[in-house]
Amino acid sequence: MENKPFIHVQNLSYAYVGEDDRPIPVLKDLSLDIREGEYVVILGHNGSGKSTFAKLLNLVIDDYTYAEGTILVDGVDVMSPDLTDEEVLDLRKNVGMVFQNPDNQLVATVVEEDVAFGPENLGIPQPELRQRVDQALATVGMSAYAHHEPHRLSGGQKQRVAIAGIIAMKPRCMIFDESTAMLDPVGRREVLETIEKLNREEGITVISITHYMDEAARADRVIVLSDGKLLLDGTPGEVFTHSDTLRKAGLDLPQCTAVAQYLITKDLPVHGEINTPEQCAEAILNAWKKM
Amino acid sequence: MTPFINVRKITIIKKTKTPRPNPSAVGTENGAAPAVPIMNQTENPKIRLENINYYYGKGTPFEVKALDAVSLDIHGGKLTGIIGHTGSGKSTLVQLLNGLARAGEGRVLLDGVDIWADPKEIGRVRYRVGLVMQYPEYQLFEETVYADIAYGPRNMGLPEEEIQARVHEAAAFAGVDAALMEKSPFDLSGGQKRRVAIAGIMAMRPEVLVLDEPAAGLDPQGRHTIFQGIRDYNRKTGCTVLIVSHSMEDMAQYCDDVVVMAHSRVLMAGDRDHIFARADELETVGLDIPQITKLCLLLREGGMPMPAGLYTVEAAEDSLMKLFSEAKKNRRGGERS
Amino acid sequence: MKGFAFGQYYPANSVLHRMDPRAKVICAVAYIVASFLCKNTFSFVLLFVSAFALILISRIPLKVVLRSVRALIFIMAFTAVLNIFWIVDTAEGAVPLVEFWIIKIYTKGLYHAAFILVRILAMVIGTGLFLTYTTTPIALTDALESLLRPLAKIKVPVHAFAMMMTIALRFIPTIMEETEKIMSAQKARGADFTTGSLAKRAKALIPIIIPLFASAFRRADELATAMECRCYHGGEGRTKLRILRYHARDFLGMLWIILFIAAIVTLNILGARFGWLYTM
Repeated sequence: MENKPFIHVQNLSYAYVGEDDRPIPVLKDLSLDIREGEYVVILGHNGSGKSTFAKLLNLVIDDYTYAEGTILVDGVDVMSPDLTDEEVLDLRKNVGMVFQNPDNQLVATVVEEDVAFGPENLGIPQPELRQRVDQALATVGMSAYAHHEPHRLSGGQKQRVAIAGIIAMKPRCMIFDESTAMLDPVGRREVLETIEKLNREEGITVISITHYMDEAARADRVIVLSDGKLLLDGTPGEVFTHSDTLRKAGLDLPQCTAVAQYLITKDLPVHGEINTPEQCAEAILNAWKKM
Repeated sequence: MTPFINVRKITIIKKTKTPRPNPSAVGTENGAAPAVPIMNQTENPKIRLENINYYYGKGTPFEVKALDAVSLDIHGGKLTGIIGHTGSGKSTLVQLLNGLARAGEGRVLLDGVDIWADPKEIGRVRYRVGLVMQYPEYQLFEETVYADIAYGPRNMGLPEEEIQARVHEAAAFAGVDAALMEKSPFDLSGGQKRRVAIAGIMAMRPEVLVLDEPAAGLDPQGRHTIFQGIRDYNRKTGCTVLIVSHSMEDMAQYCDDVVVMAHSRVLMAGDRDHIFARADELETVGLDIPQITKLCLLLREGGMPMPAGLYTVEAAEDSLMKLFSEAKKNRRGGERS
Repeated sequence: MKGFAFGQYYPANSVLHRMDPRAKVICAVAYIVASFLCKNTFSFVLLFVSAFALILISRIPLKVVLRSVRALIFIMAFTAVLNIFWIVDTAEGAVPLVEFWIIKIYTKGLYHAAFILVRILAMVIGTGLFLTYTTTPIALTDALESLLRPLAKIKVPVHAFAMMMTIALRFIPTIMEETEKIMSAQKARGADFTTGSLAKRAKALIPIIIPLFASAFRRADELATAMECRCYHGGEGRTKLRILRYHARDFLGMLWIILFIAAIVTLNILGARFGWLYTM
């Protein structure tokens, strides 16, 4: 792995333009690095600034009046006003984004044509275009639906098609902006498994924005934002030990982690990374056997 | 309204062996479906569903049976949770309750009276059974929050003072800040909009309040506020409340009764303790179970004598502490002897 | 609103279904031209027969095709009646068939009415079979974009129009579903869309229309962002997944239409030469 981070954020502040041109601050003095290949979850309550951050990374913010600081993506300063059109396209190709509402990001009336939309815009010629579409659909397990109409799919399936549409552009990094928030448990599982696969097998850097703690538990690294400020940054295990801080930020611990934490505060020998019921049960049973 | 909370009849849950993967295998041939035992049966139920069959696209090649021989009682004054996968029939069920949909076969009884007895009066039923649909914030349209909450009561033809009283009462229950009343609903945050929409139904003072995924897409704090508000509303007004949700943790925490839907049928229904005691069965139909219930199941499998029917963090912590301190005592006792 | 299907695409496996949509657009236009070229009884009989031949070729049930004709029955009847009463045979020795008060009906009028009926019928069936019944809306959009591409040279935003069509087609079912949902939600709040005066009913639609517009704008906004993120920057330098290709059957189809037009013209000429029956 390179030493240079893929995404470098330094003293980033951002505010929306409110009434009478007054700034409404969203991000405050944010600094962080994300390395290539990482699986990072950004946690925060609604309005914590996490979505704005994602949009800044992908240059889909209209107003830079109150933007300060630096964002380097692969060494390119994306806040610079003199980016060329090619640089912007290149950036968006490299950093793909999947949004919350699966309905509002599918363009075409046939699944495979929607997946082709990105690479078509990039001017990918045939037969490579065809290959990319087929491969992307296979990666998300939607090959059987290539000729279906998107509006007849389930939420989870739509979201997987949206993901395929991004993978077909061959990005190095993907941002998921609350991509599971509108899905039922089955859909969420499908999408989460796909995200993990992309990270582990395809080596794509994943930045997943969510307020589901059990999703955070599956990541390599968790960043907690609260009111636009960076609150915590570490492995899920490390972050989850700060239960009070999390609660103050409007977030809940995964229930199992909460139980384990409670036992630890009572000086019981419960150890290890505890993010899932399985891990929790194992740790408690180990302690039980020592009794 | 008569509070039925005290009618704590232990519900007899008919033990189903295994979930039925193929609902059509259960005899509903020859048109008339056989009478099925009523799940969660009680005397004087607030709502009784009697042998309901509901089809989408009946007579077309795309015919889908959305509800299959559903017979179910909803107890008055209780908070009942309805859980099941997307497509299990729960959204259809909800639409039957206030007559937005009408079943081809079977009856929906509200206080013992068929809601379709006089189809012209179905509008009245909609005031008595208030339905908050999924993502209700998208139905807001008035210029102010106040006017939007007042829309339902106004349609009921109530006098202005009555409307005003109801709007403020509902706003308080739903957690809508009084300062927001004169704002445009379009300027609110997502969570606030949701609460305004819920208040809009509560203001009709329905006897039964039905909410389809009231907390979908909200962050943890937003979820708690909504569920806590609904729970308070149920306890203080005695209004019968039904909540459709995917979140087992929330259902376990807030509901009195739980109805589990699977494959267009009611898989089980009854007291929350009884339902979550059957966590293993829930898992076999692919439903999530509350994390804590899962944990207890795993601990029991690992040989710890955890009690069944735990589903809150506090309950789990208490029993674990009890077990560990007993174990410590025993060990000390053992060392001494 | 149940059972709403956008367009009238009728899935079947026929030569017409398999033809390149561009060839079908060309054929449809040629067929309309042919129907206007018809001049006398023989050419109209040929046109009439050809319409039913097309139905057979398309393998679409007659009932389905006639459904679209039914919608036009009023217009057809009106034009027919107009022709019957209006046409005055100025030829020498022409005697009205019926004469009553100021109404005079000539045989020529009856023929004219029949001709017009056949023409409308053929146009409706012809365009329906070449375009809406056998071609998906999206294929039609592709075809139009491709056929109109030369217009881009004179600054007609052909790609933008095609993109708009595609997005409209994609979102129509979504918006329909949403309308239904909002209607249910307002009904649950006591809205009544079916009783009362016209003004009252119009007012009752406000709670539907406002949320629908709000939601459409939100969707448009989100979609625009999503499209930008997927590197959309207009039609320039775009490639296409589906490349339209002409096959032998397309050229054959167009050849048939040319022969058909030739046949009609020949019948017209022969008719004029030998004075066969009625001529328009």
